[in-house]
Amino acid sequence: MKQHLYIEIDNCIGCRSCLAACTQCGGHDQRNRNYVYDVNPFVNRQTIPLMCLHCVNPACARSCPAQAIQITEEGAVLSALVEKCIGCQNCTIACPYGIPKFDEAQNLMYKCDLCYDRTKEGIPPMCASVCPTNTLQWLTEEELAAKKSRQQLGRWTASRDPYDALEGETNVKISLPGILQGTVKLF
Amino acid sequence: MPEDKFFKAIANKTHPNEQLVPTHCSYCGMQCGMNLRVDTATNKIIGVEPRYDWPVTLGKMCPKGVTAYQQTNHEDRLLRPLIRDDASLKGTKEGFREASWDEAYTLIARRFGELQQQYGKDSLSVFSGVSMTNEKCYLTGKFARVALQTRYIDYNGRFCMSSAAAGFLRSFGVDRGSTLPWTDLHETDCLFIAGSNTAECHPTSMFRVWEVQNRGGYLIVADPRETPIARRADVHLDLRPGTDLALANCMVHLLLQNGYADEAFIREHTSGFEEMKEVVKLFTPEYTSEITGVAPEKLIRAAEIYGKAPNAVVMFARGIEQQHKGADNVCAYTNMCLVTGKIGRPKSGVATFTGQGNGQGGREHGQKSDLLPGYRKITNPKHVEEVCRVWGIAQEEMPQPGVSAYEMFELMQSKTIRGLYLLCSNPAVSAPNQNYVRAALKGLDFMVCADMFLSESAEFADVVLPSVSWSEDEGTVTNLEGRIIKINRAQRPLGESKPDWLIQVELAERLGRGQFFRHLKTARDVGDEFRLASKGGYADYYGATWERIEKENGLFWPCRSVNDPGTPHMFLDKKFYHADGKAKLCALPYRPPAEEPCGQYPLRLTTGRVVYHYLSGNQTRRIPFLRDMCPEPYVEVHPETASRYGIEHDEIVRLYTRRGEALYKVKIIEAIRPDTVFVPYHFGHEQSVNLLTIAALDPMSRMPEFKACAAQIEKIGDASGKRKEGVR
Repeated sequence: MKQHLYIEIDNCIGCRSCLAACTQCGGHDQRNRNYVYDVNPFVNRQTIPLMCLHCVNPACARSCPAQAIQITEEGAVLSALVEKCIGCQNCTIACPYGIPKFDEAQNLMYKCDLCYDRTKEGIPPMCASVCPTNTLQWLTEEELAAKKSRQQLGRWTASRDPYDALEGETNVKISLPGILQGTVKLF
Repeated sequence: MPEDKFFKAIANKTHPNEQLVPTHCSYCGMQCGMNLRVDTATNKIIGVEPRYDWPVTLGKMCPKGVTAYQQTNHEDRLLRPLIRDDASLKGTKEGFREASWDEAYTLIARRFGELQQQYGKDSLSVFSGVSMTNEKCYLTGKFARVALQTRYIDYNGRFCMSSAAAGFLRSFGVDRGSTLPWTDLHETDCLFIAGSNTAECHPTSMFRVWEVQNRGGYLIVADPRETPIARRADVHLDLRPGTDLALANCMVHLLLQNGYADEAFIREHTSGFEEMKEVVKLFTPEYTSEITGVAPEKLIRAAEIYGKAPNAVVMFARGIEQQHKGADNVCAYTNMCLVTGKIGRPKSGVATFTGQGNGQGGREHGQKSDLLPGYRKITNPKHVEEVCRVWGIAQEEMPQPGVSAYEMFELMQSKTIRGLYLLCSNPAVSAPNQNYVRAALKGLDFMVCADMFLSESAEFADVVLPSVSWSEDEGTVTNLEGRIIKINRAQRPLGESKPDWLIQVELAERLGRGQFFRHLKTARDVGDEFRLASKGGYADYYGATWERIEKENGLFWPCRSVNDPGTPHMFLDKKFYHADGKAKLCALPYRPPAEEPCGQYPLRLTTGRVVYHYLSGNQTRRIPFLRDMCPEPYVEVHPETASRYGIEHDEIVRLYTRRGEALYKVKIIEAIRPDTVFVPYHFGHEQSVNLLTIAALDPMSRMPEFKACAAQIEKIGDASGKRKEGVR
């Protein structure tokens, strides 16, 4: 059963539980590999989580000269393999979302691996497990289809030019802001 | 307990050579379920795993919960008793030396004995907290009255939950913080949330809150700040701090005026309607708008939504409770439920977000100056007799009622109280009017502090006893729903640290009162005596055995016998706990905050939490992730106000009130009212905002007015973080 990480952006309260949870994942060495941004901190407290979107054709892997970035059959784009990574940092430059980071001490790229040790056993990633607001959800295809029928799903674009948006298909799905706009009130 | 729509059957992630111990978070009243990862070879807690099968939170945790396990084996843990020989170093971290338990106990018994001999039994005091198990809370009450034989015991719930308690007692005749389980919340049609920054203080409630809106229900939030929950509210009532009573009266006024009252319910199940109606008459939207600063149309719309909702829950927290009319505020918002009959049925009711881990259970079992276990009154001879029978003491031996938490510091200043046994609390950060409180602590003849870390309060102690973290002991706590849950031991105590109940049993022996305590050899023994002591009280836990709690995913009190299923929903029979079986509608004239802004202090200061810290920060400020996310306090200022003072983002300013001053970095944000500034209260020493807050007490709950006082800002240097020379 294929499952997707799904981000309902409007729900985010900026608690950064997802970051804290990420530090608890196997092999993460107390470092988070996902991020939360303050959208407009001088105005309000709107925040958005920025996770690896696990692109179907990821720029990080494409740009890697050493084939150090593996993609699993479920579509998870993994952290660089220790034995292959040459520390060139191409991936950190190539990723349009700024996800891969570089560990100077180990001369190694590290990034979100969609908690592959958990997800391959049918357990949600740590970030989606703990997310107190259901901003991050771990959905089956069926549940994702139900979301699609209610809300418009968005694509994360990384370019300011709408006609030349840097976008591609991702395994992580996101809702567009304004999820409640089509909701019919109960009374 | 029925499984709700969010439940998913998910297997636990297991790790080789590890054991998962199911328990609950050490922090707020949500008490989120979690599994602690324990290395079986070394018996060390090394991590956390979600607990997907816990029905309230389903594996969800906030950043504090995820990292809570890190306090157990933290390098700052106290491992052996500390004794300070030079009293002149009190109030600093300096001058402590390690000692044996024997030496510490001997010194405590000698000094306590000397003080009581010279100044009487009541020269000693106990100040405790409610982040500990019911068993410890119960035993602390017994320890004060039976071992120390003093009347002076109170606890930090006075700074947190006492207004909700007093308000519920007055309205319903009983105080259970929520009349319905949290698993009902997302099924209601309208949430009216007042004075709660729910997203930051009780984040794991949020998936249920958002679901109300996802289903087409409404969310109304009353808060001076546009908190993350207020940002998405259907109506945000952005009132001035300290004006909730007017707002709530206005809601009741509009509900009555616009035909949303349930007249049959009012007639049959409430008293006091006519008097209340007379008082709320005055609170038209226009008049209320003048007091609160909220636009009349928003008030009208909020009342309309709540009135029309088939089911609705009114919820509140410290925003309305930490005022010198906090108990009145609670009753005023509860009036909304009562006039519309939206209480005593599933999906409708009233609830307070409990701030501390065991804020509910901790206030029921005798840590309060006027209460005995099971919510019995110390002034009621029948209640005293019932408890004396369990304790094995004569009725004449039961001390008189004492005074509330803040008033104990006043008695320390006047030398009525000479000695203090402090546990599980950090009043040198959390009490209001800090300069006064710190002087009171410094002036004590002898002070003992039991804590797992050297807190700011422990710096004033003569003896510091190392107690254990929540994960090294077992017992029960009562979460914000009124659900009794089980805390499990995951690791043996670190170093020579001991659980508080054991410290009290051993100290009682040294104080010559061992015969009342020495039968308590395990936490389980304390639990069984505590169940017996609560039997027959309003808060009856007798039927909640540890086995049942674990098997049934918690049990709601009252739970009077081992066959009693417990009480998830209160008042389903529409019977309230007053003698006439009715709920009381309270007539509550408006009073402004104790201190109003003036020419010299033109701003209103309000305080609160951030999501990364818990209470005085004694625990969370030591956790690297949480400290990195929020290393220091700040003052939130509206851009208009900032430009009036000529101050910029990140600039250091002096914030001062009539009681004190402190330096804070400016955080400019439009999400606060221009007439209000906000500072989080989790920081100690010169960064404590409680240096500035006012100790105006609620006459009924004795809760200080943390949420509103008059303040002023002074620019002290150039922009962008530069400071004047000589200013630290």
